[in-house]
Amino acid sequence: MKLQNFFKLLFFLLFFLLSLNSVAKESTEDRVKKLTLELRCMTCQNQSVSDSDSDFAKDISKIVEEKFKDGLSEKEIKIFLTDRYGEYILLNPYFNSKNLLLWLFPFVLVIASMFVFFKKIKKK
Amino acid sequence: MKKIVLILPLILLTIICLFFLLFILLEKNPNEPPSALLYKDLPTFTSNNLYNKNINLGSNDLKEKYTLINFFASWCTPCRVEHHFFFEIKKENPDLFILGLAHKDDPNDSKKYLEEEGNPYSFVGLDQDGKIAFEFGVFGLPETFIVNSDGKIIFKHTGPLTKEIIKNEITKLF
Repeated sequence: MKLQNFFKLLFFLLFFLLSLNSVAKESTEDRVKKLTLELRCMTCQNQSVSDSDSDFAKDISKIVEEKFKDGLSEKEIKIFLTDRYGEYILLNPYFNSKNLLLWLFPFVLVIASMFVFFKKIKKK
Repeated sequence: MKKIVLILPLILLTIICLFFLLFILLEKNPNEPPSALLYKDLPTFTSNNLYNKNINLGSNDLKEKYTLINFFASWCTPCRVEHHFFFEIKKENPDLFILGLAHKDDPNDSKKYLEEEGNPYSFVGLDQDGKIAFEFGVFGLPETFIVNSDGKIIFKHTGPLTKEIIKNEITKLF
């Protein structure tokens, strides 16, 4: 009976460890997918690395996977890639002082248009 | 007069938009995206010689001299187009060290390619796994870099070199 309990415990332990492993594996794949969707395939026309089958996209996906496995965060991998390929590899550029105009201009445009529009309506 | 005052903000906005659009279009040329490595230090690498794997060359060996680095492959058709220009560059700049890096190519195919087209390189290195090219931010062959004596990358070109590029951009660097 004791031996039976021991095997039961061993089975559950193994099952638990295998489940943990598969969850961790899935998680890395998900992280690779999520990040490569934000990376530009530089040899393609408006495609993300995730959506492309080109050699370049495959290489970048492989590097991203390796870096995640090495314990690097998403931000660190982005820095690693932009150090080599520039910000051009990011489909969404960084929100920094250099790109401030790029990010804020649509809002400025909407506010300015609304201002002119309402001013005109008020006068009418 | 009142009408002009009303329209003026819209005109100004249109002008700003046009300038902004021009700025974006000039910055984002998909054929020649800005290089992250330009005016930065040469990446660290080591490459085995194509003809003798016991001989290798690293980034440290390229210090204190001007070096032209060309990523090529036997399977790359545009590489054949620009290949003969390296003989001309070498002839005009005998002190220039020309490093050819065979990217993701079978060494036998690279040797055959250089037999057919001639070998203008001072050293032909191997980059079979593409790791060196990755460090240089290479994404399409051929790609050419020029490194100055301080070890800084001062020129980068993606695609085959042309006579105009050599005359207007490369020659001025030496």
